[in-house]
Amino acid sequence: MDMYNGGPEISIRSLRKDGMKFVLSNTDLSVANALRRIMIAEVPTMAIDMVEIEKNSTVLTDEFIAHRLGMIPLTSFDVDRIQYTRDCTCTLYCPNCSVELTLHVKVNVDFDDMNDPTIDKTRQVSSLDLISSDENVKPVSDDKSHPILIVKMRPGQEVKLKCIAKKGVAKEHAKWSPVYGVAFEYDPYNKLRHSHYWIEEDENLEWFVSDNAVEETPIDPNEPFDYNAKPDRFYMEVETSGCMKPEDVVLRAMTIMQDKLGGLQIKLDDEFKEDTQRWGY
Amino acid sequence: MNAPDRFELFVLPDGVRKLTITPDTKIPNAATFKVEKEDHTLANMLRMQLLEDPKVLFAGYKMPHPLDHYFVLKVQTTPDTTPAHVLGNALTELIQNVGSMKNKFEMELIRARSETQKVEMGEGEDISHQVDMDF
Repeated sequence: MDMYNGGPEISIRSLRKDGMKFVLSNTDLSVANALRRIMIAEVPTMAIDMVEIEKNSTVLTDEFIAHRLGMIPLTSFDVDRIQYTRDCTCTLYCPNCSVELTLHVKVNVDFDDMNDPTIDKTRQVSSLDLISSDENVKPVSDDKSHPILIVKMRPGQEVKLKCIAKKGVAKEHAKWSPVYGVAFEYDPYNKLRHSHYWIEEDENLEWFVSDNAVEETPIDPNEPFDYNAKPDRFYMEVETSGCMKPEDVVLRAMTIMQDKLGGLQIKLDDEFKEDTQRWGY
Repeated sequence: MNAPDRFELFVLPDGVRKLTITPDTKIPNAATFKVEKEDHTLANMLRMQLLEDPKVLFAGYKMPHPLDHYFVLKVQTTPDTTPAHVLGNALTELIQNVGSMKNKFEMELIRARSETQKVEMGEGEDISHQVDMDF
């Protein structure tokens, strides 16, 4: 019955701290695509969702800063321990469903340097200035020399605020996406003719085959077109924001996929029981 | 101002059924499944799995409107089975497939991690630059 005997195969081609490449084969395009969609939009992470601003005399408006704060990736290794706020018993937020981060920077006026144009008096407020109440949820900062810039300040200015980071999924807002990109390719030689390339004169000269082509055999010009062929090798690359390991993103996505299918199966069984007499199923 | 809440995309409200089955009144052995708060991710997977089944005469889905967060799946089967039954089989098959995919991934992960370690310790051949092609 099933043409993909033996189930899906996976081979990992590279594994790095913030990205991985793998080949998924012997499965249907729809399954590979579901995995891609879930990794992008349904794996939960932590992100700043509420900002209470106490003082802001910087050049950026409150909402501008709040928006920038939301975009900062937060480490979400143990996001499983945190509840969604909507499922929590608290009224607004509590330690079970949120993490507090504070930011307080005041740039003092140094009267000795004031009139010296050679001294750069700009204070760069970055993700390193955010103080988290939870060691496991803090701004991603692998490279301390290149933190994420929030606002630039000059002497005399002050910013003081409290951020509430919450658990969420990217279906609600893209800031919760654990990945910066998921590359997805199949059939690099376009044997299945799913792609229609726009050309001037010669397709082979004007369009490059991707690097994934080394894993496949080139088109044999003498071979007739197989119109029944289906794609079954999918080249995927996952690049994370640093909020969690790439392999964890993939594994979590697979678990979510199982839960989705399992949940529906349970609902179908319930329906069976309820409706046995009505429909005779 | 009157924008719908984004969480309506995936939170099932109280009193709303996740799954509703409506048998077709005109076509024999056909039914429509309405699944709330799900999208192409699940719908397309189900459709393709159903089409693998020789007892399925028709399987198709649609998302009727971009502001409604549900899909409808229409299935017609041969007389010796029912749409609900083949959907159950499709789900079982998919769950098995995803389960084995996850196991394979975990196995591969163990292999890939030991490989990375070998390279870091200077043993073995550095495969990373051979297989890792950055664009």
